[in-house]
Amino acid sequence: MVLFIVSVGLSVTMGLMGFVNLAHGGFAMLGGYAIVLSMKHWGLPFPAALAFGFFAVAAVSVVLERLLYAPLYRATELDQVLLTIGLVFTMIATLTLSVGPETQTVELPEWLRGQTDLGFIEYRTYSLALIVAGTALMIALWFGFERTRIGARIRAAVDNRRMAQSMGVDVGRLFTLTFALGSGLAAIGGGLGAEILGLDPQYPFRYLAYFLIVVAVGGLGRISGVFFAAILIGVLDFVLKIYFPKGGTLFIYALTLILLLARPHGLFGKKGTS
Amino acid sequence: MIAATELARRHRLRWWEALPWIASLACFFAFPNYLAFGTQVLITILFALSLDLVLGYAGIVTLGHAAFFGAGAYTVGMMAMHWGWNEPISGLIAAALVAGAIGLASGLVLLRTHGLALLMLTLCTMALLEQAANMGAAWTGGFDGMPGLSFSKILGLFGFDVLYYRSQYLYALAVLFACFAIVRTLVYSSFGQSLTGIRENLLRMHAVGAPVRVRQVLAYTVSAALAGVAGALFTQANGYVNLAVLSLERSAGVMIVLILGGYGRLYGAFVGAIAYMLLEHVLAKAYPTAWQLGLGITLIVVALFARNGVIGIFDSLRRRIERSAR
Amino acid sequence: MLETKGLCKNFGALEVAREVNFRLERGARHALIGPNGAGKTTFINLLTGVLPPSRGSVLLEGEDVTLLAQARRVKRGIARTFQINQLFRGLTVQENVCIAVSERLGVGGSMLRAAGRRADVLDEAARLIDMLKLGQDADRRIIELPYGRQRLVEIALALGLQPRVLLLDEPAAGIPSAESHILLDAIATLPKDIAVLIIEHDMDLVFRFAERITVLVSGAIFAEGTPAEIAANREVRSVYLGSALDG
Repeated sequence: MVLFIVSVGLSVTMGLMGFVNLAHGGFAMLGGYAIVLSMKHWGLPFPAALAFGFFAVAAVSVVLERLLYAPLYRATELDQVLLTIGLVFTMIATLTLSVGPETQTVELPEWLRGQTDLGFIEYRTYSLALIVAGTALMIALWFGFERTRIGARIRAAVDNRRMAQSMGVDVGRLFTLTFALGSGLAAIGGGLGAEILGLDPQYPFRYLAYFLIVVAVGGLGRISGVFFAAILIGVLDFVLKIYFPKGGTLFIYALTLILLLARPHGLFGKKGTS
Repeated sequence: MIAATELARRHRLRWWEALPWIASLACFFAFPNYLAFGTQVLITILFALSLDLVLGYAGIVTLGHAAFFGAGAYTVGMMAMHWGWNEPISGLIAAALVAGAIGLASGLVLLRTHGLALLMLTLCTMALLEQAANMGAAWTGGFDGMPGLSFSKILGLFGFDVLYYRSQYLYALAVLFACFAIVRTLVYSSFGQSLTGIRENLLRMHAVGAPVRVRQVLAYTVSAALAGVAGALFTQANGYVNLAVLSLERSAGVMIVLILGGYGRLYGAFVGAIAYMLLEHVLAKAYPTAWQLGLGITLIVVALFARNGVIGIFDSLRRRIERSAR
Repeated sequence: MLETKGLCKNFGALEVAREVNFRLERGARHALIGPNGAGKTTFINLLTGVLPPSRGSVLLEGEDVTLLAQARRVKRGIARTFQINQLFRGLTVQENVCIAVSERLGVGGSMLRAAGRRADVLDEAARLIDMLKLGQDADRRIIELPYGRQRLVEIALALGLQPRVLLLDEPAAGIPSAESHILLDAIATLPKDIAVLIIEHDMDLVFRFAERITVLVSGAIFAEGTPAEIAANREVRSVYLGSALDG
C-alpha cells in the first residue's frame, strides 16, 4: 500500500507529464523527513504532520519544476535522467548535511499502534490504516482525474499540448500543479511508509527500482493500474519471500521483464498513452 | 567537385590523439604509488567507451549497462574459482563472449521497445542478473562475492602484483588501447555513420532502407562485449568480484562519467573518467557529502546547459571561433 | 510499375483510403492533388509500407509487395521524401547524403573501412550535392541551414537511393520560389524510366511538371487525367482548384 501511495505520485508526474522523473523517491524522502522532523521538533500530531509534509514538498517541487523541469519537457530522456539523478544526489547530500546520515524513526500516535481485532483475524492497526488511506486516496484521485474539469484539462494538455493551449488552458501552470500534486503524494507516501520502509538519506536510490517497476507494470498515467500493480507486486513480494526466500526478487524482475516486453504500456495501460 | 571534405579527413589520425597514450605511459613512471588508482581509471575509461557506442553513437539510452560489466567480471571470477582457469588473456576473451552473448540475446528482445519501456527493461535485465548472482551463492559467492582470486602471469611473463599494480596498469592500458582501436574503427566506418543516423532520425533511417534493428542489436552486442572486457579487467586487476559490479550505482556512475566527458565523441570517455575519478578520489574521501552535493549540482547544470559535456563546451567554443574567423 | 488494388485504410471509424485503384506508369511524371486531409500523405505511407493497409494490395511491377517491410521496399526501388523534413539534423549535409548512398550500395553495415575512405560513396554524394546546388553547405550541419536548403537535402537523400519509383511529398513546400527551379531541374535530370509521383499544392509547379494528375478527395480517387482534362473538369474546379486556375 505504501508502494502505491508513493508510486501513484510518480505515475502522475511520469505518466501524465511524460517526464522521466528518477527524483521521485527524493521527493518521497523529503516528505518523510518533513513529517518526522515536524513531529519531533514542533510536536505536530501525525495527521497534521502529514498535511504539512504534503504542502511543504509540493511547495518545494513547484520551485524546482519551474526552475529545472520546465526547460526540459521537450528534451531527450537522457537529459531528463541526468537532471533527476543530479537532483537526487543534491537532495541526499543536503539532508545528510542538515539532518545527518542516521535513520529517522516515526513516533506513531497511540491510536495507530497495537493490533486490531477484525473478528476473523488480528491485524496491525497501522497496516489497516494504510490500506484504508490508500484506497481512499485512489478513489479520490480517480475521481479527480476522470470526472472533474481540471482532470480533463490535464489529460488534454498531455494529449495535445498545442491544442490545449489554443483552447485557453494554461499548460505551464497546469503542469506545475500536477507536478506539485505528484510530489506531494510522494511526500505522504514517504511519511506513511517511513515506519515500514525506513527513512535515511539513501532512501531514494534503494527503492527507485521498486517505484519504477510498479509504475511500469501498472501503466503510465493509470491511477487504478498503479493501484493494482502495487498490490500485486507487494503481495507477490511478500508471498515469495516467505516460500522462496532467495528467489523472490528475481522472480519479480523476470515477471516485469516479460510483462513489459509483451505490453510496453503496462498491464493496465492503454495503447498510445506514452 | 568538392575537394577533400571534413568527412573524408575525419577518420585520419591526428597528432594530439597520441597524447592520452603518452600521458598514460608517463603516469606509469611519474606516479608509481598511484598505479592502483590509475588502473581503476583505465577500466572506467573502457567501460565508459563501451557505453558511448550505444548511448553516444546509436542513441540507445540504457540504465543497465553494468549488467555486461558484471557478466564479464563474474565470468573470469567463476572460471578462476571453479575451473582453476587463471590465464588472463583467454579470460578476457571468454568474458567478451559471455557478455556479448547476453547483449545479443537481450538486445534482440529489448530493442523492440524504446523510450521509457526500454529504460525500464535495461534496468530490469541488470536487476535480474544481480539477483541471479545473489541467489546462485554456490557459484557466485552470493552477497559476499568471490574474494582472493589469483591469476597467472600475463603471457607467462608478468605477474599481477597485489601491492603496486605495476603490471595491472600496463595490462589494462594495453587492453584499453586494443579496445579503443576497435571502437575507433567502428565509429568512423559506414556502420558507425549509420548508427549516428539511427540516433538522429529513426524515421528517415527506415526510409533509406537501412536494417535499423540489426544495426542496433549489433552495436549493443559489441558494446556489451567491450563492457564485459572492462568487467573482466576489474576482477583480474583487483583479485575479487562482488555484487557491486552489477549495481544501479555502477550503471548510473558510468553514465555520469560519459556525460560529463561528452558522449558521442571518442575522447569523452577519457576526459570524463579522469575528471570524475580524480575529483572523487580527492573529494569523496575527505568530504563525501560535499562530493555528492557537487556532483548533483554539476549534473543538473550539465542537463540544463551543457548537453555535450566538457568536450562539448570546447567544441562549441571552437565552432564559434571558426565561424567568426570565416 | 507501381499499382494499388482496392487499397483501404481505416483509423478506427475514419476511412482515410477508400478502394484506391491507382497506377503509376514507368517513366510517369504524375501529380497527386487534393484538399487538405484528403489522405495524400497516408497514401504515400501505404505505398512505402510505413502503414499497413486495412485491405487491398500494393504491387511493384506486378509483384505483390503489400507484406514487405519498408526497408525491403526501398531496396526494390521505392524512395520517398517527407512533407516535413526528416533529416539527420546533427550531421553535415554530406554525411546525410552519404548515409543514403551507403545503404543503396549495401555498405551501410561495413564495420572496418572508414566512411571517409569510400571513394564510391563520396563521389556519388558529391555529385548529388552538386546537382542540388548544396556545394558550399556540404560541411555544414543540417540545423545550421535555412529550411529551404534543408528541403533540397531531403530530395538529395531520396535521389541517393537511385529509386525506380520516387514519391515526393510536397517537395517545394518551404523552398523560396526563386529556388524551386533547382528542384525541377534535379527531377529533370533523372533517367526517363523512373516513375515520379509528386504531392503538391503549388498548382503552377504541378502543371509545369505533371503529365498526368490524380485528384484525391476524402480518401478516394475523385478524378484522373491529363493536366488539360483536369483543368477543364468542372467538378474538380469546384471542389479544389477553384481560384488557383480562375485567377
